[in-house]
Amino acid sequence: MSGASGGGTSGQARAGGLRSGTVGLLLRIEVLKAVKRRAFWVAVGLFAALNAIATVDNVRYARLYPENTYALPASWPDILTGLTGPGPFFIAVLMILLLAPEFSWRTGRQNVIDGLSKERLYAGKVIVLVGLIALFTATVVAIGVVGTLFSPSEGGPEFIRSTDLSYVGGCILNLLLFCSAGLMLSTMIRSAGPALGVLFLYILVEQAIAELVSRMGETMRGASEYFPFSITQDLGNSLVHYPEQLAAVNSSRAERGLPPLEFLAVEVLAIAALAYSAIFLVIAFLSMRKRDL
Amino acid sequence: MPVIETHDLTKRYGRRAAKSVLAVDQVSFSVEEGQVFGFLGPNGSGKTTTIGMLVGIINPTGGGFRLFGASGPKGLLAARSRVGATLETPNFYPYMSGRDNLRVAAAIKGVGRARIEECLELVGLADRAKHRFRTYSLGMKQRLALAATMLNDPELVILDEPANGLDPQGMREIREIIRILADRGKTIFLSSHLLWEVERTCSHVAIVRKGRIVASGTVTEVVSAGKSALLRAGDEDALAAALEGCPEVMSVRRFEEGGVVVGLHSDDLAAVNRYLAGRGIHVSHLAPHRPSLEEVFIDLTRGDFDPMTEIAS
Ligand SMILES: Nc1ncnc2c1ncn2[C@@H]1O[C@H](COP(=O)(O)OP(=O)(O)O)[C@@H](O)[C@H]1O
Ligand SMILES: [Mg+2]
Repeated sequence: MSGASGGGTSGQARAGGLRSGTVGLLLRIEVLKAVKRRAFWVAVGLFAALNAIATVDNVRYARLYPENTYALPASWPDILTGLTGPGPFFIAVLMILLLAPEFSWRTGRQNVIDGLSKERLYAGKVIVLVGLIALFTATVVAIGVVGTLFSPSEGGPEFIRSTDLSYVGGCILNLLLFCSAGLMLSTMIRSAGPALGVLFLYILVEQAIAELVSRMGETMRGASEYFPFSITQDLGNSLVHYPEQLAAVNSSRAERGLPPLEFLAVEVLAIAALAYSAIFLVIAFLSMRKRDL
Repeated sequence: MPVIETHDLTKRYGRRAAKSVLAVDQVSFSVEEGQVFGFLGPNGSGKTTTIGMLVGIINPTGGGFRLFGASGPKGLLAARSRVGATLETPNFYPYMSGRDNLRVAAAIKGVGRARIEECLELVGLADRAKHRFRTYSLGMKQRLALAATMLNDPELVILDEPANGLDPQGMREIREIIRILADRGKTIFLSSHLLWEVERTCSHVAIVRKGRIVASGTVTEVVSAGKSALLRAGDEDALAAALEGCPEVMSVRRFEEGGVVVGLHSDDLAAVNRYLAGRGIHVSHLAPHRPSLEEVFIDLTRGDFDPMTEIAS
């Protein structure tokens, strides 16, 4: 029972830890917590495996049937579908699994007792959000691009086209909206199970309401396009980003006597997604700051 | 300059008046450097809430406080780097090892790896540090919390019911660590519902009841503030019955070693004697009685709980 004090340099170290490199400090803490968490590796591993399987399939078909080109930049739409579909759900679930237990374990509370301000506690969660989006995007792009190296197809002169960049941006905004919702639900509900429940319930309810109001006339149907989940669906839809794809689909619809598909402009979708994300993040921040931990 | 100073600190949980709980009600006290300050009160009296406000996780709804003279968000944040605290149960990441949990706390506090090992050593957890927190016994969890508290070599150590759930051996270890810290000049603020824990470890005490401080000072001061007297007479039943009606008398209880102990509003023993004589009761013994902290505590928190079961636990 000796050495209760000591650490004579801790005063200087402490000041350094609090003042300089806050982002680096928060990143270090969040990374340490995530990499020790099995749920993190299970979710990321599963997501990577799904993408790998899809990529292997793409390469296989390109080898069997040369008309199924798998090369850049033509295959960006195929590669990026990995970020749509189940991608946003994975990331939202992971976000909630990483954040909500901080409340039930009361570790967020202890972080503040240990000297983290509530603002920095929140900033740490935003870092998790940015980190997960970067990780998911990098995983999909890396697996897809590595896949093209094994494909016999000839690539085009460019690596990436402006339409591809638009799709990448749409996918990232899609992830951002899901992650912000996950962050908000985690901080407000403070328990992973119920937060996940509310997220999925919301998606079902939104779709039901959209279905309902679309029967109430054209203006109501137009309004339902601005619902958050609808925005994410459109942003992750390649038809929104590739005019030639949309033209092809619509001409085949015209042959079958169907009306053409129409979407909100990409810029409008992007602004709406950013606005929703900002609202969710602000609500989370205010809730974090105002409530007792 | 006091290390902790609160003035009219108040916390009301819940906004709607009907459902709200006034957990802490205009609490004012101060803790000076080097004191071992006991915050003593029955369960639900507002100890955890008070500490929660001091450490910045519960927003006060009234009044205020200073830590090391600082107030306001910026000043308090800086002051908190000189504080080590735990609140209620030990709060750690269950899936991480004891050592990794301390790495998180150390990163926040800005201290290095060597200090983590020192603190693990200090609480005797070095050989279990690589195991997950989930697998720890309650005593080990408490000790890990203590290690985390010590990381930044705090000047003020705040412990909320540190002996809760520990076996006698564990409690003795905690007491020993507190004594070592006190000997090194640290200021210690500890809450407890266990009277003897405070009596054994603390130099100063504040007794809290239903969110209000009902007595505070040095342990000796609090004890002597309770004015009381010991009386004996031939017929002690008649004596006790008569004392119940005496205006000077606050409380009456039979003393284990014989006689009746009364709590008094003043120290006017002559008035008590006159009152009894007027009712034909002649006392064989009447003298000031120095109550134990236990008696004071029971007197001051009377009716909140059964003191005997609390003390026995
Ligand atoms: N988050 C909360 N919401 C509502 N009431 C609470 C909350 N936390 C504590 N209380 C109430 O406040 C009072 C004081 O609680 P607490 O500070 O935990 O007391 P102690 O630590 O002395 O046992 C109790 O009546 C308790 O029920
Ligand atoms: Mg308590």
